[in-house]
Amino acid sequence: MGKWFQRRSEYVVIILFFAIGFLLLIFLSPMLWMFLTSFKDRGEFFTYPPVFIPKSPDFSAFFHGLELGGAKGIMDTLIIAGSCTLISLGVGALAAYSLARFRIGGKNLAFWILSIRMLPPIAIVLPLFILYQSLRWLDTYQSLIITHTVMNIPFAVWILKGFFEELPSDLEDSALVDGCNRFQAFSRIALPLVAPGLVATALFCFIFSWNEFLFALILTRSHVRPLTVVITSLIGGHEILWAEISAVGTMASIPVIVLAIFLQRYLVRGLTLGAVKG
Amino acid sequence: MGFPPEFIGLANYIRLFQEARFWNAMLNIGKVLLFGVGSQFLIGLALAILLDRAIRGKTLLTTLFLLPMVIAPVVVGCTWRQIYHYQYGPLNYILQKMSFAPITWLSNPRFSLPSIIISDTWEWTPFMMVVILAGLQSIPDQLREAAAIDGASSWKIFTNILFPLLKPVMIVAILIRVMDAFKLFDLVVLLTQGGPGESSETITYYNYLVGFKHFSLGYAAALSYVQLVVIIVIANFFLRFLKEKEV
Repeated sequence: MGKWFQRRSEYVVIILFFAIGFLLLIFLSPMLWMFLTSFKDRGEFFTYPPVFIPKSPDFSAFFHGLELGGAKGIMDTLIIAGSCTLISLGVGALAAYSLARFRIGGKNLAFWILSIRMLPPIAIVLPLFILYQSLRWLDTYQSLIITHTVMNIPFAVWILKGFFEELPSDLEDSALVDGCNRFQAFSRIALPLVAPGLVATALFCFIFSWNEFLFALILTRSHVRPLTVVITSLIGGHEILWAEISAVGTMASIPVIVLAIFLQRYLVRGLTLGAVKG
Repeated sequence: MGFPPEFIGLANYIRLFQEARFWNAMLNIGKVLLFGVGSQFLIGLALAILLDRAIRGKTLLTTLFLLPMVIAPVVVGCTWRQIYHYQYGPLNYILQKMSFAPITWLSNPRFSLPSIIISDTWEWTPFMMVVILAGLQSIPDQLREAAAIDGASSWKIFTNILFPLLKPVMIVAILIRVMDAFKLFDLVVLLTQGGPGESSETITYYNYLVGFKHFSLGYAAALSYVQLVVIIVIANFFLRFLKEKEV
């Protein structure tokens, strides 16, 4: 970097530009392929040489994909991801506040909570399956909502704990002196001040639940059909409907892509469980 | 599940450690960790250094690069299944245009696991990039400038100044990826179902087959415990690292 850093010649800038452009093309082209396939008509996928840009954009795959379970998938995933996000946020904020302000359970409790996040889902899905079976909860919304919430709460607690710790406690202390009780100090003073943290946590929980596959696959049958399960089931048939699969895949990706653009600032912090401040 | 349970001691574990299929699955996931996470780290590092030096549009570029990581792994699997298609896939088309022979990506035991590793690398390189980039940007510019004024070469600045400062960030990124990649499941289901034969079976996928296709719950639980132990060992490194940072 030395000499380049001081006076970047045009030559270097051009190389840099092309290197980044080339890598960007590699990283975006698979998604572009899926997006373009969703507009192909039946049979256009099965041609050689492959058609990159469909001749006449055909929206029928989107409607057909919605009929084949895509619409129900979007609804179910919204219900599950939405409820899971709300519960995780509520429980997470309360737990994180008490961990940050009162040091409940010392350091070890906080680390124990974090360790739940690292649990391999396959190791807990079997006992959960037996548990929900005896409760007659297989194939219900609540089983997936609870399971996703259990996986998300450690994350919510840990990230929000970081945000609360960065907040000086002076404001809450003066509110307490002025006659607020602890809960009011939490809900009226501290909570609004960590709003960015709440937004980031909510987005992360939502994306996790939206994209989750293993629990969804094992804990649902026919009554509840999350998007990831719908997409997988479309591949199972003897004739693979690539246009429909791509259309549902595109619809499943757009919300998380939009969220990721808003989330970008908090992404690093969230992804590394707070180990690296983004 | 219909039979009354019978206590068999450690029989499941003994069977497990003698079974070739278990070791094959462990070997496969080992390859994913070595080659997959390894190349994610190297490409991610290169990308982070490139982006760190980009003059304009850094935020937009970072966002575009990280898109593969935020879309559902299931969607990633569907997309790559199309790309790897032997006859109609764009990848073989490009190979043929460059006058290479087309490759039976998913149905050849030699290429099934590498195909999964390539897709996983595509999906998770952005993670490494974003984390290392954050590390790079937290290093004050003055450090590099001072070294440059003192006459250090670009390479010297990287190895002697940036690399040591980045080491904690890199360790965190690699440990998190190792923990996640060890649980690799979605891509295996979508791309190969562990096949052909058992050539691309990972430990999580094998566990899924034993528990939910063969319904031998005791054996599946034993498999789960073995994975849990591995994850606990890795997680302990990670947590110890975090604790040291907090002190």
